[in-house]
Amino acid sequence: MKLVNATNKAILSRLTILFLTGLLTACGTSNVVIEGYFPTPNINKMPLSVAVYYDDSLREFAYMEYSETGREEINIESGLSHIQLFNAVLPAMFDQVVNVNSLEDAVSQNVDAVFAPAIEEFQLALPAKTKLDVYEVWIKYNMRLLTSEGDYIADWVLTSYGKTPTETFRSVEDGINEAAVVALRDLASSFSLSFAQIPEVRDWLSNL
Amino acid sequence: MKTITTIKLIKLSASLFVVGFLANCTSTTVDEFRQGETGIESDQSIVILGRRQASDYETRSEFVECVGERMTRGEGAINVVPEQEFIDAMFPWFEPRTAPLRSRDLEQLMAEDVVARKMNEFGIRYIVWVDGRTETSGRTGSISCAVGPAGGGCFGFGTWEDDANFDARVWDVSSLRNVGTINTDATGQSYLPALVVPIPLIARVEANACSRLATQLKDFVNGS
Repeated sequence: MKLVNATNKAILSRLTILFLTGLLTACGTSNVVIEGYFPTPNINKMPLSVAVYYDDSLREFAYMEYSETGREEINIESGLSHIQLFNAVLPAMFDQVVNVNSLEDAVSQNVDAVFAPAIEEFQLALPAKTKLDVYEVWIKYNMRLLTSEGDYIADWVLTSYGKTPTETFRSVEDGINEAAVVALRDLASSFSLSFAQIPEVRDWLSNL
Repeated sequence: MKTITTIKLIKLSASLFVVGFLANCTSTTVDEFRQGETGIESDQSIVILGRRQASDYETRSEFVECVGERMTRGEGAINVVPEQEFIDAMFPWFEPRTAPLRSRDLEQLMAEDVVARKMNEFGIRYIVWVDGRTETSGRTGSISCAVGPAGGGCFGFGTWEDDANFDARVWDVSSLRNVGTINTDATGQSYLPALVVPIPLIARVEANACSRLATQLKDFVNGS
């Protein structure tokens, strides 16, 4: 009899823990780390040596989506995926690419230019809020191109957009990840194809 | 008394099933508009790409894959390069923002030596742009389910209509021209009667559209 009671108590406490864990998980913030495949662009290389500087705000970039009641809902970490993307794109665009830890380090590298991207804005649209059957991601960037001494060459804004349709067995996290990967590919395509057409960059290239 | 009720129930279920089975058939219309001669060699291939420029929908990659897969089978089978493999290899030229929208944009694109080289490596003769979606409308009816100590069950009736409309534009990479368009429109009514257990009678609208489009495209590309 005692044994039965003990077993019942154990089951009851396990169920309580399970219920509380479920409750806490349901109320907690979900974390999405953007992961995707970024192919190397199939473009002609420019005969340039470029140092690239990713500052901490880009490396650790995260966006928090809040619920309508102001509760923290989804945390989206995309810093690492941005670095992976630029690491795939830049070597296909330029003859030589070196990563530097600070803008000062670029001086000793004897490069033609220093590229320093920054994320200015990140927006997310969820089907539950927009009532559309798509997950959407907008990202606004500030692209800066400097001389190795830190002088200004060009500074331009680039926006990227990605969307992915809702599917029956796709989770919210997967939908956000897919849309963000499409947005990152969009960034890579417009950046690599429009780089030489930015007026300041074009002027700088013609004077090299 | 009990036997009569059972027989009645069986008869009702059977007639419901037959009505549903007959009614959930799909009707498909295929229109072909040819603008140029076509034909393909055995060492050449095609690629089928989904349009993803619209703001409110995008052509599902599963549908594109379905058409491609069906074109590689049977008589007059054609080599089809998988969509994602082609887009990745051609990156960044076939992304939603950069993909050519008109056949004259293809001419501009093929002037890029890296694009022309890659296209040649794949042996692409035709690019097929598939644009469309399946829409559901006219949802009516309701089903309620209940669970009790003696068991559970559902009762009710639901119905809806699916309409799959897809356009396939065929671009000839050698002549850099649009050589034709094939439109497929499939509609079908689906039913969900529930007498204790829900019995889904789903109209296979998208699958039919895929099958008919693939058959027509295969004939079109082969020039028959």
